[in-house]
Amino acid sequence: MKRTGTFSFLRTYSVLVYFFLYFPLLVVFLYSLNASRSTVRFEGLTLAWYSRLFHNPALLEALFNSLKVSAVAVSFAVVVGTTGALFLNRVEFKGKALFRSLSMLPIILPGIIVGLSLLVFFINLRLQLSLWTVMLGHMTFTTPVVMFQVLARLQRLSRNLENAAMDLGAKPHQAFLYVTLPMIKRAIVGGALLAFTMSFDEIIITFFLIGTTNTLPVYLYGMLRFGLSPEVYAISTIVLGFSLLLILFMARYTGTGEEIYGKR
Amino acid sequence: MNSSIENTCPGPKKSWNRALLQGLPIFMWMLLLILVPLAIMFVTSFFVKEGVQVVHRLTLRNYLEFFTNPIYLPIFFRTIFLALSVSLTALLLAYPLAFFISRKVTRFRSQLYMMVIVPLWISYLVRIVAWRTILGRVGVLNSLLLALGLIREPLPFLIYSPFAVYLTLIHIALPFVFISVFSSLEKIPSNLLDATSDLGANSFQTFRHVILPLSMPGVVSGFTLAFVIALGDYIIPQQLGGLNGLMFGNLIVSQFGYAFNWPLGAALGFIMFAVAVAILFFSQKLGSSEGFLE
Repeated sequence: MKRTGTFSFLRTYSVLVYFFLYFPLLVVFLYSLNASRSTVRFEGLTLAWYSRLFHNPALLEALFNSLKVSAVAVSFAVVVGTTGALFLNRVEFKGKALFRSLSMLPIILPGIIVGLSLLVFFINLRLQLSLWTVMLGHMTFTTPVVMFQVLARLQRLSRNLENAAMDLGAKPHQAFLYVTLPMIKRAIVGGALLAFTMSFDEIIITFFLIGTTNTLPVYLYGMLRFGLSPEVYAISTIVLGFSLLLILFMARYTGTGEEIYGKR
Repeated sequence: MNSSIENTCPGPKKSWNRALLQGLPIFMWMLLLILVPLAIMFVTSFFVKEGVQVVHRLTLRNYLEFFTNPIYLPIFFRTIFLALSVSLTALLLAYPLAFFISRKVTRFRSQLYMMVIVPLWISYLVRIVAWRTILGRVGVLNSLLLALGLIREPLPFLIYSPFAVYLTLIHIALPFVFISVFSSLEKIPSNLLDATSDLGANSFQTFRHVILPLSMPGVVSGFTLAFVIALGDYIIPQQLGGLNGLMFGNLIVSQFGYAFNWPLGAALGFIMFAVAVAILFFSQKLGSSEGFLE
C-alpha cells in the first residue's frame, strides 16, 4: 500500500492510542521505584518498597487466599468447562443457541449483577460468607472462559478423527484420551491461564461475597482508602507483571496472536 | 463423535446416556450459579424491608421507590449518559487503530494486535491506581501542566469528577471495542476491495461504501460491550468519582452496606440487569459478541 497522508495520520493516531493504553501502567511502575515516600516528587530509585512487602503478614495472607480462590475456581472451570464444550460440540438440542448465550452472561453482564444475585441467593440460604462463597462467585466466569476457548478449538477440528479411532476399535474413553484430548490440550491450558488471570484480579464480584477475609485485590482496595503509597505501587507493579507474564505465556502457548493473524 | 444423533455407533441409547452425563455439570453450573440466583434476586426485589425485618409479601414498593424517590432517576440517567459517552469515545479511539492494524500495516501485525489486547486482561485495580496517580490534585498531569506554565493552579476537575470516571472506563473498554471492530474488519474479503478499486472507487469511497458498512457488526458489538462495562461499574466511581461521579452501581452497593435494604438493592439490580439484557439482545440481532473469547 502506498504511504499516503491517510497512512501517516492513522499512524500518529495509533501511536497516541498506544500511549493512552500504556502510559498509566508505566506511571505505576515508575512510582513503585521512587525512593521518596511522597507520591509526587521523584527522589531516586529504590527497591525498598518491594522488600518491605515480604514482611507484611496480612498482605501475604491475602495473596495466599487469592491463589487458593483462583486455583479452585480454575480447576472447577477446567472440568466443567471442558465437558461443557464437548457436550455443546456433540449434542444438538432444542434451545442450544439460548444456552450458549446464557452461558456468556457471567462474562458479559456487569459483575455487579452476578455478585448481587449470588449474595442475595446466599443470604436466603443463610450461607456464611467466606472464601468458599468467593470461589463459587469466581466459578461463574472462569467456566465459560475455558468452555468457549475449548469449544472454538473443537469446532475447527474434524469430527471424523474420533469416529475413525472408534472404527479402529478404540473405546469412547480411549478415543477421547488419545485423539481428542491432545488436540484440545492447548485450548484448555490457554483458557485456564486466562481464567486464572481474570480470577486473580477480580474484585467486583468478590467484594459482594468476601465477608471478613481478604484476597489480594480486596487488600489493595482497602489500602487505597488511605490514599496512594509506595507500597500500593509496589503491589500494583507485582500484580501487573504477574498478569503480563501469564498473558504473554498464554498467547505464546496457544498461538492466539498467530491464529488471528493467519486468517488473511 | 456425532454418534448420539446419527446413530453410527452401536448402542445409540448408551451414547445418549453418555451425552447426558457430559452435559450434566454445565447444566448444574448454569442452574445453580446463574439462573437460580437471578430468579431469587428477581423474587426478592418484590419483598420489602420493614424495620429490620424483610417481609416476604409481594409488592411493587421497591420499584415505586425507584421511580418516585428523586435520588434514583437522575443518577440512573447520568449513568446511562456516561455509559453512552464512554462507548462512543472508545469506539472513536479503537476504530482507526483497528483499521490501521487490519488494513494498513504489513509488518509486526500480530505484535501490534497483541499490544492492544494485553491491557484487556491487566488488573483493573492497578489501572485505578494509575489514573488516580495521573489525575490527582498533585498528580502527574497537573504537575506537568504547572511545570509547563500552562496553568497557575491544579485543575480541580481532573479527579473526583465524572470526567475521571469517564477516562478510566475508556481505558478499560477500549481493548474490548478494538477486538470487536478488528475481527469484523478481518472478515471483509480482500477481493471485494480489489473489485471496488477496479470499478474506479477511490479509497475514501471504498471505506464509506464497503468497509464501514461491513464492519458495522463489530462496531455494534464493541459499542455494546463498552456500554455494559461502563453501566455496571461501581469501583471506579467510588475511587475516582467524588460526589458528582457516583453512579447507579454505587446506589445498588449502598443498599448492602449501611442501609442493608437488600430487597431494594435487588430491585435496583434487576433494573440494571434489564437494561443490560435489553441492549445485549438488541445488539445480538446486529452482531456477535463472542469474538473476544475465541
